[in-house]
Amino acid sequence: MGITDFLSDLMSSVSFVQEVHAEAPAEEEESSEGGEESKDDDAGEEEEGGDEGGEEEEEEEEEEEEEEPVDPKPKLEEECANSAQCVGYKHHFDECVERVTAAQEDPDHKGPHEDCVEEFFHLQHCATQCAAPKLWKALK
Amino acid sequence: MLATSAVRGTPLRAAARNIVRKTTTRAASSSSSEAASSPFYLTAGASAATVATIGSIAWYYHVYGRDVFAMTPAEEGLHPTQYPWEHAKWTKTFDHAALRRGFQVYREVCAACHSLTRIPYRALVGTMMTVDEAKALAEENEYDTEPNDEGEIEKRPGKLSDYIPAPYKNDEAARAANNGALPPDLSLMVKARHGGCNYIFSLLTGYPEEPPAGATVQSGLNFNPYFPGTGIAMARVLYDGLVEYEDGTPATTSQMAKDVVEFLNWTAEPEMDDRKKMGIKVLIIGTALLALSGWVKRYKWSPLKNRKIVYNPPVGRRSPPRP
Repeated sequence: MGITDFLSDLMSSVSFVQEVHAEAPAEEEESSEGGEESKDDDAGEEEEGGDEGGEEEEEEEEEEEEEEPVDPKPKLEEECANSAQCVGYKHHFDECVERVTAAQEDPDHKGPHEDCVEEFFHLQHCATQCAAPKLWKALK
Repeated sequence: MLATSAVRGTPLRAAARNIVRKTTTRAASSSSSEAASSPFYLTAGASAATVATIGSIAWYYHVYGRDVFAMTPAEEGLHPTQYPWEHAKWTKTFDHAALRRGFQVYREVCAACHSLTRIPYRALVGTMMTVDEAKALAEENEYDTEPNDEGEIEKRPGKLSDYIPAPYKNDEAARAANNGALPPDLSLMVKARHGGCNYIFSLLTGYPEEPPAGATVQSGLNFNPYFPGTGIAMARVLYDGLVEYEDGTPATTSQMAKDVVEFLNWTAEPEMDDRKKMGIKVLIIGTALLALSGWVKRYKWSPLKNRKIVYNPPVGRRSPPRP
């Protein structure tokens, strides 16, 4: 957010006359109406039907390209959890998981019931905090 | 100014020197043996009072102690992470493309269980939809008409002035359909929850693969660290590629969560854009008036500030000699 952004925002907020368009631009409206009509009425308008087909094909291609978008969040948080920043929390969490699973598997275990929720919280907090700005750069 | 100070200078300084001399002499004259010989019972009394004060405070803390926190961290829930929301900045508006995407996510995912009863279709016009799109959307649903001549209430297609319909008839129906848990209305959810946007984003994306070791999750509930108590009835709903954005944005889990949270922030604060604009106007007019008042004050006070007071002592008489 540079000074130019700030100034342009300032200018746009100060100007008392602003154009807000609730209506779609005329050209788009025509095409969309045409599309609906061609769906409803099969009679005539072969050209527009042809156009629609072309668009659909393009969309399908796009779908194939972006068939499985991968969420960057788990990867970023994994990296953060392993970074030097959170290594202490990770260490504690792993140690707790090891201890608790060992206690659960041991039938003679008579100690207090324990869980790793708190350790998980600390690790998660550290990792998400570290990943937040990176995630926001990756998202739109 | 310079003249007045020069005129005033000498006598003032002389007077000051005089005062200083007097005080020093007086301090010298008062004997130090007097201060040292303050009675013992005064010192002892002050010390005892001090000790009693400190002791009573210490005793209070010993008896009542510090605050006792009955809530475990799990019951409290994990505090959401601060995300750098663009629309939360002082001079930024909502990203209306994101609002449109977020509304799509709401319609296709959230609307199955959550109502949005405070948002009419007309509010969508101009913020994320055109008039025709909003009308077409409204007409997909049926609403009650006014009673006709025979008192019958019929159904009519929705209009722009209608509100977005709820998925269930009432809260009881919603509870019955959701295993006893009521999906809350989302209209004001960003304002209603501690942490706002961060909380909802964290909640939507924070479902771990499996709960941490040793954590107990009741049947019918899911583990989510951000939900107070960590057991939430809502399962994870957002998965990569669940919706297909019309603008081609890759619909990852985080992207959908971000968009829908921004949309929910809009539903809670539809006036935000205007409010920020109004804030800038208030600042501009306020500073202008402040500056104006400063200059007017200067103008009005200038005769007073610029006057010169001169004392000319009468010539020929001398003041009596000082002792």
